[in-house]
Amino acid sequence: MKKRLGIISFFVIIFIAFILIWNFSYQKGLEEVYVPAIETPAGNIIPSESGVFRRFNSGIDYSNMPVDENHQRTLKDYYENRAYPGAPPSIPHPVANERSLGGNTCIQCHQNGGFVEKFNAYAPVTPHPEMVNCRQCHVTKNTNNTFKDFAFAKAQPPKVGTGVNNAMPGSPPMIPHQLQMRESCISCHAGPSAPKEIRVTHPERINCRQCHLPKTNEQPQINAGTFIRQFNSTYEE
Amino acid sequence: MPIKSYLAHPIKGRKEELMIALRSLDQCEVVPAENQDVLALVTDTPDEKEEENLKEKIEAISSLKFLSLVSGFNTPHN
Amino acid sequence: MAMLSAMTAAASMFPGILFASEQEEGIPEDANLDWKKGPCRFCGVGCGILVGTENGKAVAVKGDPNSSVNKGLLCVKGYHQIMCLQSKDRLTHALVKKNGKYVQTPIDEALDIVANKMKETIAKHGKDSVAMYTSGQSTIPEGYVASKFMKGAIGTNNLDCNARLCMASAVTGFLTTFGADEPMGCYEDIDHADYFITWGNNMAEMHPVLFSRMLEQKSQRGAKIIDFATRTTRSSTASDRSILFEPQTDLAVANAICYEIIRNGWVNRSFVEKHCNFSKGLTNIGYGLEDNFNFTDKPEKIDFEAYKEFLKDYSPEKVSKYSKVSVKDIKYLATIYGDPNKKVVSYWCMGMNQHTRGTWINNLVYNIHLLTGKISQPGNGPFSLTGQPSACGTAREVGTFTHKLPHGVVMNKEDREMAARIWKVPVERIPSKPTYHATEMFRAVDRGDIKFIWTQVTNPLVSLPKTGRYRPAMEKESCFVVVSDVFPTPTSDVADVILPASWHIEKGGLYGNSERRTQHWDKMVEGPGETTPDAWMTIEVAKRMGYGKLFPYSKENHVEEIYNEYIQFHEGAKHGMAPLEVLKKESGTIWPYVNGKSTQWRFNAKYDPAVSNGEDFHFYGKPDGKAVIWQRPFEEAAEKPDQEYPFWLNTGRVLEHWHTGSMTRRIPVLHQAMPNAYVEFHPDDAKSLGIRNGENIKVTSRRGSCTLPASINERGLPTKGQVFVPFFDENMLINDVTLDAFCPISKEPDYKKCAVKVERV
Repeated sequence: MKKRLGIISFFVIIFIAFILIWNFSYQKGLEEVYVPAIETPAGNIIPSESGVFRRFNSGIDYSNMPVDENHQRTLKDYYENRAYPGAPPSIPHPVANERSLGGNTCIQCHQNGGFVEKFNAYAPVTPHPEMVNCRQCHVTKNTNNTFKDFAFAKAQPPKVGTGVNNAMPGSPPMIPHQLQMRESCISCHAGPSAPKEIRVTHPERINCRQCHLPKTNEQPQINAGTFIRQFNSTYEE
Repeated sequence: MPIKSYLAHPIKGRKEELMIALRSLDQCEVVPAENQDVLALVTDTPDEKEEENLKEKIEAISSLKFLSLVSGFNTPHN
Repeated sequence: MAMLSAMTAAASMFPGILFASEQEEGIPEDANLDWKKGPCRFCGVGCGILVGTENGKAVAVKGDPNSSVNKGLLCVKGYHQIMCLQSKDRLTHALVKKNGKYVQTPIDEALDIVANKMKETIAKHGKDSVAMYTSGQSTIPEGYVASKFMKGAIGTNNLDCNARLCMASAVTGFLTTFGADEPMGCYEDIDHADYFITWGNNMAEMHPVLFSRMLEQKSQRGAKIIDFATRTTRSSTASDRSILFEPQTDLAVANAICYEIIRNGWVNRSFVEKHCNFSKGLTNIGYGLEDNFNFTDKPEKIDFEAYKEFLKDYSPEKVSKYSKVSVKDIKYLATIYGDPNKKVVSYWCMGMNQHTRGTWINNLVYNIHLLTGKISQPGNGPFSLTGQPSACGTAREVGTFTHKLPHGVVMNKEDREMAARIWKVPVERIPSKPTYHATEMFRAVDRGDIKFIWTQVTNPLVSLPKTGRYRPAMEKESCFVVVSDVFPTPTSDVADVILPASWHIEKGGLYGNSERRTQHWDKMVEGPGETTPDAWMTIEVAKRMGYGKLFPYSKENHVEEIYNEYIQFHEGAKHGMAPLEVLKKESGTIWPYVNGKSTQWRFNAKYDPAVSNGEDFHFYGKPDGKAVIWQRPFEEAAEKPDQEYPFWLNTGRVLEHWHTGSMTRRIPVLHQAMPNAYVEFHPDDAKSLGIRNGENIKVTSRRGSCTLPASINERGLPTKGQVFVPFFDENMLINDVTLDAFCPISKEPDYKKCAVKVERV
């Protein structure tokens, strides 16, 4: 008799527990989700320092990389397909698929560089491989003429050379160009595709921006408490 | 990769000679002072052995009175 | 550093020592540029840019990392925009046509001629014989003074703009469904949505920076992009699913999606009951092909059951027969919209707006979002993208349309009284009847009813449909044409007076982009020769006509003065605009700007302070606070392919060129990437016609023809039986071929559908 009572009360308790839990879960389900509007961080426009560290994990030994004198580019080549210093370069080679955004097709060669027999040159390495819509900014060159007469006037690129960009003699040269979209220093300043005038003597030191500061005069009111890059925060490797 | 900086003091009157001699050594960077008889010298060699060799070569220069070490550091390879 | 330490040591031993000074040499040019902020000159995304100037010349551009629109990224047009200024054929002085030749004239004299001609024409033929045609690229001050000049000073409603050709259907869609114009969401939706569905637009090329943001969400959060279009494009290749449909059947597919939503019980019943009404309008409403075509809709209230009954004709099985969309795909789209746990944003642009039933298709996509309650929430909602940088800011908000005022419409007495008060003119002067919309305005020029027309910042003889009629119309003796532009164009080729306008950064101004963000910029460089901002030229002509008292602005500061006058029209929680000081500091603010905060999602009580009915949603554009679900049927296109003209002709744009190309073609990087237009074919069609890639093809319609090289499976792939031509090339004028049929409600022409035949030449 007692046993029966025990079993029945056990089931009653389970049943009550079920009702309570079910109700609780139902009430929770009715709660609406409030998505707070994202507060735009104010004034953080220092390009993120982490871009500097990219490409060093891939095990590439920059300091021992041989320099291929016969196939290296010069700064003149570098600026050849840029409308002004800092402009996205045009694509100097034919591209197969017009309908593609770029993405994997471009990254195959331009993420790590390497010698390309067909063009007898080293593929330049992109400092921003995470941007997959390549052809939004990089376009091909399909003709040499202009629509109407154009007064070509190229802006002066930053000077390069010993002592040109130094705050004081012998101090580490300052960065004379804008850092936006070009945060991975090593992509252009080391490796076989680097323009020879800017190839650095000590690529293995990794943390370039520890000594080399941007020589820019951007807005002084910077919230220097946090070095947050607004565009994306997940590509911090 | 040892990098060392020195002040090189030439024997009196032989600053030009010392400067030319040092400049001819290609792992050296020389900046002469304009109003004193002293030269700032920075040596940059790929390893310890070369550094020793270079130091010997410098000390062999006749116009050098003495070499005083200011600072030096050695960056290890990646 | 080693050198430095040596020198420091030396300095301690020999005080006053000096080492060879190598440091003054060569201050790097790049780093010392002066960077000023502003919005991009081109598309409706409205990216923030920073222009680097040096010695008074603009030499570099970069994206503004501070702008939440683009966060430092631009597209190829944005990066190179300032280079158009180096074109040698820039209009630097006023040109007046004398004896068939253009003679350079001092600008004051040219403005005298314009003002006198205007006075004379009004005296002889009445106020409605003069007209102005402005632009969605005009700055807010430029649009405002044009409106004040025509409607407040002269007293005519003969003012319309080229935004009629791109956004009118979106506007009437908003007004019929919500009673208030402009999207209720903002770009931040991209950061929250699970699905992006694009309706007939190619965002990868037309709104590339937004598309890149979507791609980022795709790789970060697994968001999905579904491309629903009549053509395979870069957007299609980047999206998760590409669904192609037969032109014009987007109306049917949208209804089919609603049918599925209702059939499966995915309707958000409480939302619909609390916040929506049902209505239907007239059907068989025509195509506007005749001159003086007139149409007024007659809305009629219906209920949910009647709407459900109507949708029975639009089951996926029935619709898939003529839309060429499979039943599976229609159900797939319906499932995405119907799933209450998935946030969906629908994006569209010209595919839905440049449509003979543009208002209807806009209504239908709103229906989908209203039935499921997916609206006005972060990541959930319909979003109509604009094409021009200030179609929202100037054309729609200032109201440079024949029927609009800065607040409200000319037909409404209170709105006229408000305008009269702020403009300080007698209220009787503001006419209460709208006159001509864009297409009709140029038809009136052809008929001789308009004898004077002044175009600013636009190129109608490349952008109007059926240019074969409107070019001879503008060339007629009966109409005096004044064109303000930066470069010579086919429009300025027929002008009697050409006025040299300042370009973008040569004047200060304000633009408003698709997400209701107003952005300000200061003048950055001096313009060459006698170039003058358009707003100032309008003011100068107004002064010469005796209306100087209405335009008491100074030349140096007119942008600020005009803006401060303009924002009075929008005071209030529903449309408040930020004061200029805020706009100068920040990279734009979204209106309604209330108590120092931008309202990102309208009509939602959690984010919008203008909500006043105590509920969670309030569609306060409508008197009863409820949005309208419109019953709209599928109707055929104005001109379908037939035996004689067997192909659909679709026109559109490409990444490299902006609209009629007058600026971008003069930028060598862009021209060299895309030197001329072409006609796209499906490979099967090309094969059966024996057409090879690059061959010259003549595309002919009942109205005209155009010869272009063929492009087979390159940038875009149309469906079978369709050809596509981009319209940026003034030398391959495809608008000679298009049809000037328009949506009877919005009056926006349909550039996407007419019938053509093709032949090899």
